[in-house]
Parts: sequence; C-alpha cells; structure tokens
Amino acid sequence: MLVAMSGGVDSSVAAALLARAGYDVVGVTMKLYHDGDTTPDRPCCSLDSVNDARRVCEAIGAPHYVLNMQQPFHRDVVRDFVAEYGRGRTPIPCVRCNTFTKFRDLLRTADRIDARLVATGHYARVTDGVLHTGLDPAKDQSYFLWGLRREVLSRLLLPVGAQTKAETRAVARELGLRMVASKPESQDICFVPDGDHARVIAEQAGADAPALARGNVVTMDGRVIGEHDGFARFTVGQRKGVPGGSREALFVVAIRPDTREVVVGPREALAGLEVAARELNWLVAPAPAVGDRVQVRVRHRAPLVPGRIAQVTGDAVRVELEAPQFAIAPGQSVVLYDGERVLGGGVIDSRETEPAREPATTRRLPVIAA
Amino acid sequence: MAGPFYFDHAATTPIRPEVGEAMAPFLGAAFGNPSSTHRWGREARAALDAARERLATCLGARADEVCFTSGGTEADNLAVIGTWRALRKGGRNAVVATTIEHKAVLAAVHQLAKEGGEERLLEVTPSGQVRAEHFDTVVRDDVAIVSVMWVNNEIGAVQDVPRLAGKAKARGVFFHTDAVQAFGKVAIDTARQPVDLLSLSGHKIGAPKGAGAMFIRRGTPIESLFHGGSQDRGRRPGTENVAFAVGLATAAECALREHDAECARLTALRDRLESAIRARVPDIVVHGVGGMRAPHILNVSAPGTDAESMLMALDLAGIAASGGSACQSGSVEPSHVLVALGVPAEIAGAAVRLSLGALTTDAAVARVAEVFPTLVAKARGFAAV
Repeated sequence: MLVAMSGGVDSSVAAALLARAGYDVVGVTMKLYHDGDTTPDRPCCSLDSVNDARRVCEAIGAPHYVLNMQQPFHRDVVRDFVAEYGRGRTPIPCVRCNTFTKFRDLLRTADRIDARLVATGHYARVTDGVLHTGLDPAKDQSYFLWGLRREVLSRLLLPVGAQTKAETRAVARELGLRMVASKPESQDICFVPDGDHARVIAEQAGADAPALARGNVVTMDGRVIGEHDGFARFTVGQRKGVPGGSREALFVVAIRPDTREVVVGPREALAGLEVAARELNWLVAPAPAVGDRVQVRVRHRAPLVPGRIAQVTGDAVRVELEAPQFAIAPGQSVVLYDGERVLGGGVIDSRETEPAREPATTRRLPVIAA
Repeated sequence: MAGPFYFDHAATTPIRPEVGEAMAPFLGAAFGNPSSTHRWGREARAALDAARERLATCLGARADEVCFTSGGTEADNLAVIGTWRALRKGGRNAVVATTIEHKAVLAAVHQLAKEGGEERLLEVTPSGQVRAEHFDTVVRDDVAIVSVMWVNNEIGAVQDVPRLAGKAKARGVFFHTDAVQAFGKVAIDTARQPVDLLSLSGHKIGAPKGAGAMFIRRGTPIESLFHGGSQDRGRRPGTENVAFAVGLATAAECALREHDAECARLTALRDRLESAIRARVPDIVVHGVGGMRAPHILNVSAPGTDAESMLMALDLAGIAASGGSACQSGSVEPSHVLVALGVPAEIAGAAVRLSLGALTTDAAVARVAEVFPTLVAKARGFAAV
C-alpha cells in the first residue's frame, strides 16, 4: 500500500492508522516544485516537510521515499495555472494535482512496486467504490477530487475522511507523532506559499505578461471608472481592489482578457442560475442523465444548492440551479453531489452559456457578457 | 535467497571485524590525548604514530606525508583549497578539475572561483576518460593545482593518474587525486606515481564513517583549513581521533592484503551480473564502458524506466542500490557525471548504480540478475499507459 505523505498531520495520521491496521505501508513524499530549501514552514516540498514525513515513517516502521515529480507537476499543474489566469479565469491547481500528479502519475509508481492500494490524507471517504464527502463538513475536501478516474476509487483509501480534524490531531498525539500533531493548517496553494500568485505568473510568463499589465476597470454599461495593474489579480466575485466611490458596493462580475478589462457591477449582477462546465468527469456508473436532480457546489466550502442536469455534450455539461449562486467564477470547479455521494464535476466555463440560447433574464450569469 | 542484498558498496561498506577489534581499546581504557606527555598520552601517541606509519606503508609514503582527516570530503577540500591558497600569491591562480569529480572537489573548486580563482574544468570522453589533448591545453603554468579522481564513484571509470600526474609535474602544477573509490581497487604507490596529494576515505574500505586521510607529498605547499593547535604539523589542528586513525590503518592493510583476490572476484561477479542483465534487457545502457573500469561499479540505464521508481522497487524487493548523487531531500537528481559524459537526460534519469564489495555473493548476483530485468519489464509496461 502506497501512502502519499506531505509531511502534514492528515497524511501522517493516514499512514499511521493504516500501519496500525496491519497494512504494508510504503510512504512516498512527492517533490513537486523547488523553491530552495531555506524557506521554513512551507506546507509541502520543503526539506522540513520531507523530514517530517520521513520521521513519521520511521516511527511507524514504514520505508519512505522521495519522488521528484517537479517536471510532471509543472507540465500538468503550474503551466495550466498560469495559462488559466492569462485567460481571465481563476484556476484550482489542487484539482489538477489530484487528477494528474497524485492519482495518475503516483498511481503508476504504485503499480511498479505492486502496491494495489493507495492512500492519502484527504477529508473524503470512499464507500463501495463511490466517493463520499468527508464526515467533517468543515474539512470536506471532496470538492477537489472530482477529476479522478473512476477505476482509481476501487484502489483508494482515505483513512482520515471519517473523522474531524480535531480527531486527526488527537490520533496524531495518541500515536506519538509529535512532529506533526500541532502543525499549522496549510491554506495556501503549495507552490504559492505567500499567496502572491501574481509573482508566480510573473516568474513563469514574464513580468510583462498581459495578465499582469495595466487595464481599465469598467462598469457593465461600459464606463471606465478606474485602472488596475493586472487582471490576473482579480476573480469574479471579488470586491477587494475594486475602485470605490459608487453608492453601492461593486464586485468583479467579469474579466475580459482580450481588452484587459475588469468589469464591475452590483452584487445582484453576480447571481447565476446556471453553470456551464467542461472536462466533465463522472465518478459513478452509470453516469447521471440529463434531467437528473443533483446538488451543486460551485466553490470550495460553498453550500450545496439543488439543481438539475440540463445538458451533456461530450465533456461539456450545463447545470441549472434552483437558487441563484453568487460569484460563479470561470476556472473553478462545479461538483455535483447526491447527498454525500460525489457524482462528478467539471471546470466552470461560463462563457459557454450564450445568452441567446435561452430567454435572457436579469439573473443570468453576468460573465456571459464577457 | 530473499535477501536483503546490499549492492551499494560505493556508498559505504560494513566495518571489518578486524577494524572494530583494533579500535576497541581506544574507545575504552586507552582514551588518552596524544598531545599529553603522561602515560595515557604516550599510549595514544604510540598508537597514532603506528597508525600513521602503517597507512604510509600502504601508500608507499613516509609517515610525515600522511594527514588524518574526518573523511574524503575534508581531504578533498584541504587538497584543493589549501594548496591553491598557498600558491595563488606566486601567480598560479587557476585551479583545474574534471567535470566528473565528486562534489567534494567540484564544490571546493567553485568556492575558489568565488575567492578570485580561475576555474577550469577538464572534459571527458563518453566513456569517462579525461581527454588528453584537453588536459594539455588546460593545465598550463598558471595552474596551482589540478584534481583528477582516480576511480569515479558513479561509473567506475579509472583515469591514468600516473601519466596525468607526470604531465602536470612537468609544468610545475601540483596534482591531487581523489582516491576514495580507488584504494583497494587499483595499485597505488606514491613512491613511483608522481601525485602530490591523494584523498582517502575510511568507510569505503571497511573503517568507520568519519575516518579519512590525505597523502601530502613532502614539499607540497598547503594552507590549513582549520585554525588551532599544531596537531598533524598544523595541517589539521584538533585533537587526533586515535581510534579512527587506527581503524583506517587497519582497514587499509586488510584491503591491500586482499587486493588481488578481491579485485578478481568482484570483476568476475560484475561481469556476470552485467551479461545477465544484458541478456534479458538487450537495450540496457552500461555507463563508463570503453575505458579502464574499476571492478566494483556497474551503472546501468534501462531506457523507458526512471531511477527513482526502479530504486524504490528494488529496495522493496530486497535489493539496495542507488542512483545519481542524492540531494538534500533524499530525492534523486540527474547525475552531473552522466550529464558530463553526454548521456541524454532520459537515459541519465534511469541510471541505477549497483556497487559490489564484501557482501556480494554469487547468490546476491543471481538474485539481482533475476529481479532487475523483471522490474524493468514492469516499469516499461506501465510507462506505456
């Protein structure tokens, strides 16, 4: 059994629980990017994290290996991250890392060492071959796992998904994993440890990348009300950084990479009743059909809203929502649930939803205007 | 038959029983400081003096030409940095090393470049031999020191050190050789071979980690890296590690005693392993062939595999090997040696070093010959997905 170990408390406890349950655990830490070994306390890939994972493996009597996966990670995750911002969208690199780096590339390594099972420290559950939400709603990470191939689920164990974070920490202490028990939560994207994604874009695409160049902030009716220093610094639904001075609060409602315009409007303009997505992936068989009622999540930690699968064409899906959702941002994921069961998901691509296709309403996705 | 089998003798070797026995008194009652004038000191001094003489004999050197260090890295640093610093004032500012040196030499050379030295790197042929004509153009009379490793730790390539040292001497250039992998594998005799400095490491020949030595020919200018007392003629201040000096001398004597038989045995095993792998993996790439090779290192790449997964799978199958030089985080990085040989990146990334030694038996070779090709097939099968 191969356990992907970041050096954090969740995957450490996952490995320890499996070892205690009698599994033949092999711990693997993936080195995903290199940022020098001097920055302390980075969530993963730092020397400290590798050392912590190794110490945990030593404690539980499992061999530990470091796999250098910088090249595939850069190819499948970092490059897409930068390109998506360049297209005026807001990507979730963790989804692609799970889909490609962890549950495709790492799985190949598992095959090579005859490890039939793989485990991670994600807060989600696999029951009867179906992905379920983590039991702790505050920690549920199923939103990031919709891109897995369905076959992977039969080989996947997620030992911490059935407990709360507090329980995980308690188990870490109980098992004597002091090196990780009280580690702080990692919130940032691992390769953007300081949260400054513009810096990463500048490094990768150059400081003169269009996504980082000056542009206009315009209202929905085309009035220029200010300037910005790079549309990549904005996300649909964002309020911070939008020029003030209006009577009502303004939010980013669209980003137009062609003209480098950031479109702002009132909160109502953010309400969307429909989501169009691509890269559709179903985690259940048979796949849900058009007309099926589902619950929909359009952002990490956003509440589930009832909806209906309106259209499926190839890898594109359109989902109607029963209640308006605010800030449906292109590049984020839409994940479809049936209660705790995760049915599948896709990458939001709101521009797919042309206003002409159906009668226009004021509550339609404003991003369409882009 | 299941092992585990140790094929990483180039990384380190088990301590010889004779070495442990020889050191034991100095880890116990004979704990004196060799610089003390009382009986405890005299006892330690006598053992240290004897160890120095015994090691000198093993090298064809005089006792005063042996300097004990903490290992190969310190010896390499002392040779390259110490000699350059002593000679730079005299107008010899350049320092030369091959592109396939151990990091202990390369990083020392880079350090000298930072201190104002001129760094010149010697090219090697695809089989890992120094290009003689390049040596002649690079090693001129503005060079303080040239460093050429006798046996390469990754591919086992053997350099013609006596000849290169002779050429350097003819230009007034001091010659250092990193003989960490060479001792016990090639004939070393400083009385006949004109090297000026030679590095040794204990744990490659059955002494403990942390034991090392350097041969420094009389008259070779050298500046100490450390500052302190006058131990080892001031070349290496600090209270001498008597136990390790005794251990190193004992290990060196053992290695020399078994030199001929062990080299023949390892060569036969290495050849058998190589041909067995070749038979089942016909497109296997063996690195460092075509020139002189040390008997204990077999470095191979199976195209379409990657070293990390192979090493992991080998380890889990009970076979300990290694890849390129390991970086800090324990992850395998492409080897600078294979890159210098002109090996394409994807082949270099598949390189697995199997190094033979005291623990290598017929059964161990048979096991690797069986497992390695199987793992290659498995890796290739899945790589196609």
